[in-house]
Amino acid sequence: MANAKRFLIVGAAALMIGAALAGTHVRAADVKVADPTSVVMIVNRDSNEIAFMDIKTRKIVGKTFLGNNVNPHMVMMSPDGRYVVTGGTRANKAYIIDARTLQLVKVIPVDIAPEHLAFSPDGRWYYQGNPEGDSISVIDMVSLTKIKTIPGLVEPLNTVFLPDGSKAYVGNYGAHWVGVIDVRRHELLKKIQIAEVPGVAKLDPAKYLGEIKGINIPQITNDGRYLYATDTDLGVAAKIDPREDKVVKVIRVGKAPWRIYMNHDGNYAITPNNGDQTISIIDLRTDKVAATLEAGENMTGVNFAAGKAFVISSTSGFVYVYDMKTLRPAGRLKIGSNIQLETATTDTADEKIYLADSTENAVVIIDAKTEAVEKIMNVGLFPWGTHIMDSKDNYCH
Amino acid sequence: MEKVLTMQRVRVGITSIVVLVMACVASAQTSSVNGRVTNQQGGPVADAEISLVPPPSAPMPGMRMPPASPDRTVRSRADGTFALDQVPAGRYVLEVDAPGLARSSQEITVPTQQTFAVSLEAIEVPGGEATSAGAAAAGATDTQALLDRIKVLEQRLSDVESGTVLSEPETRVKRIEVYVDKNGNEHDEPVQGAEKKVTYQRERVYRRQWLSEKLEQAFADQDSKKITVGVSAASVTQFARQTSGDPAQARGHAYQLASADLLFSAGLAQYTSFFADIVGLSGAPPDAEIHGLTLLNSYTARLVRQNEVNVREAWLRTELFSQKLALSAGRLDLTNYFDRNAVANDETTQFISDALVNNPTLGLATNGAGVVGVFDAKNGFAFKAGFQQSNSDATNLSQSIFSLGEVDYVARPPGLSEGNYRVWVRNDNGTARNRSAVGASIDQKLTPIFGLFGRYGTAEAVSGRDHFYSAGFQFQNGFVFNPLDFWGGGYAQTDLETGDHERLAEGYYNLQISEKLRLSLHLQHVFESPAGAKSVGFLVPAVRLQARF
Repeated sequence: MANAKRFLIVGAAALMIGAALAGTHVRAADVKVADPTSVVMIVNRDSNEIAFMDIKTRKIVGKTFLGNNVNPHMVMMSPDGRYVVTGGTRANKAYIIDARTLQLVKVIPVDIAPEHLAFSPDGRWYYQGNPEGDSISVIDMVSLTKIKTIPGLVEPLNTVFLPDGSKAYVGNYGAHWVGVIDVRRHELLKKIQIAEVPGVAKLDPAKYLGEIKGINIPQITNDGRYLYATDTDLGVAAKIDPREDKVVKVIRVGKAPWRIYMNHDGNYAITPNNGDQTISIIDLRTDKVAATLEAGENMTGVNFAAGKAFVISSTSGFVYVYDMKTLRPAGRLKIGSNIQLETATTDTADEKIYLADSTENAVVIIDAKTEAVEKIMNVGLFPWGTHIMDSKDNYCH
Repeated sequence: MEKVLTMQRVRVGITSIVVLVMACVASAQTSSVNGRVTNQQGGPVADAEISLVPPPSAPMPGMRMPPASPDRTVRSRADGTFALDQVPAGRYVLEVDAPGLARSSQEITVPTQQTFAVSLEAIEVPGGEATSAGAAAAGATDTQALLDRIKVLEQRLSDVESGTVLSEPETRVKRIEVYVDKNGNEHDEPVQGAEKKVTYQRERVYRRQWLSEKLEQAFADQDSKKITVGVSAASVTQFARQTSGDPAQARGHAYQLASADLLFSAGLAQYTSFFADIVGLSGAPPDAEIHGLTLLNSYTARLVRQNEVNVREAWLRTELFSQKLALSAGRLDLTNYFDRNAVANDETTQFISDALVNNPTLGLATNGAGVVGVFDAKNGFAFKAGFQQSNSDATNLSQSIFSLGEVDYVARPPGLSEGNYRVWVRNDNGTARNRSAVGASIDQKLTPIFGLFGRYGTAEAVSGRDHFYSAGFQFQNGFVFNPLDFWGGGYAQTDLETGDHERLAEGYYNLQISEKLRLSLHLQHVFESPAGAKSVGFLVPAVRLQARF
């Protein structure tokens, strides 16, 4: 009886140990990034790689080479932190990287010149915009395959999903409408014209027929209730109600707004207006322009941290700073001379900004509070953008 | 004792039954996942990693996605088979990884009777390092695989041809820092006895560029090295209808003045540029017949000689101290730097009356040689100082010097949009004694579409002081026919110590016809009240056609 008892206890213990062992995480390849929120991802356009920089040590902990002549454009981490994805503009392919081992695990052919991308909130769908193919490639993140190509768009730049994942909104830079995608069927549902082309347009064919600079992104508000989309040619920001998919307000901003960026407190949004080198600060509570302030040339992005807005002036080498409480200018930071700045991401603590400095092959770290600037050199060739998981300022240009 | 032993047996029996029942329950709720991993040629892939991970799921509202829970991972055997045991029922993603091969990923539901056949494709990284598995796969390439490969290459060539993407590398020159030793040897890193030097070096990069982009860039590069030429041309037609006073010469007359500015600019060095404005005017403005204290057509201020071309501005500008301080020197128009009212400062697009374009107490009659410095830290404050000779007949630089200083501030009064507030002081040594003037200039948006402006200036005269006031409004982006139209109204009053007075009002509507062409309609009314004489009033409708390109 004692033997039987011993046998049963040993058997039960073995069963439990076996189950525990079966659940143990084993990976042959080295885990290079244990915490996906601990790194800044850097898109190195000319060295065709994604570099991973540890936020604390500021060291490059790994690089994923994508292949010659790929030219990645934008990088993003999946919502569950498992994958890092990017579109290779020159290669017409999407690249999927294991976020822990930094191994390239899948290469998926998409349409022409893939650039900007987005994940559905549940992480199931990866929408890769193909501006030169006028389409979006839908990639299933479970099977890691392209399941569909959504046609009918016009130079689609950025896509934004609703928080419930039911619909996605696409900015068409080659038109003046926002595309609404039914995410269940991955089909174009509707086109929302955000503003009318002025009647005098027919007298100005050089501007209105020469080249369209339409909608970059329909940016969603922090509460997910509305979307705001700017039209560069028309100089307006339109407020879209996604419940009815209609424009409920058109706000005139400065000349040639590049796109719209949401302040983290949800009260204001900023459009950098490259046509008149100003920024328009829109009060989202009243849907009115609260201030129009002088800015720099060729603005490519806006980041928010420490109660300030940092506006990147690409070719001047300056970052313009604005106090988001007083809505007044607060100086500008000189990053360098004869350089080209690209886009930046903000850390999740809203303390530091990581700015891609392409011609110096560097990432510039700006302390938002002290405005101290530090350059991390040799991160790769021609860094085009940066990304931090869960950052509120993940964007591309 | 026997009873105790019996009780112990009963306890052991119950425990055994409980454990067995638990084992059976556990067995009923878990099952195995089996399969085989092969490469594209059907060969077994040994030592592949087979993992089960949770499928994507929607996050809770307001919550970020939780990190994925640890994988359950096993390795494939030599024949490629694998088995994951004791897998609880549910949905999973079955992932299979092997070095040099693309990941296979599929959603499965456990329990399942299916034996999963997983075929891994080779992953292609042009220029990347070959892996052993990749090489093995390549070694096993058969004829069909080669044919497939040729098909892919043909498709890629077709894509390249259809896209006209340039495959040539782009050349870029970079400024680099190197370390040069006594022998002239150059090192990338610091070495003993070597000095840090700056040099320039070409680098080649491969980037997706369309032909159109390349051409556009080439044209832009050429343009940046050239002198940029711009044109600003205007034609102003005015009509004078007398409304009060004794009949005057201007009664019922029409006037027209045409103006053309050629604007040249060029970059000379880092943060240093040259600018010149050459202007030619022709025509008859009303100011030749209506002798007011200020000009009814602000373009008249540019008129030096009829039908002649004059150099209006020609200066060099350089920026110092991280481009916070800008210095300009040469023949200047100081009104471009001082009292730059956002609502009433531009005769080419806003008011046409000089009293609503400038502040007469600033006292600048004509452009002349001078220097101006602007310190702007872009924090809302700006400080300006400059001097300019305002007499073309002066024989030396010390004569007719206007010295000006100004402080600008960008404010946001509570509940309002931004406004610009300025105070200035001016000194003029053009007469026997120095005469000073002070003034203020404000433009404030009350709403995003409606703004106000106001100006005041007082200048030392012969024995007393001259005073000037103006105020008005502008609508922009609201109550307009076309989105980029704007309109406004203003009133200006000039009171001289001599007893002469002028009261002037103007309203205008500026219509955008195209990006480069604007048409504006104006209605001016002026009362001139000379000291000791009867007042005279004129209503002056005007049309201005303005082109800028």
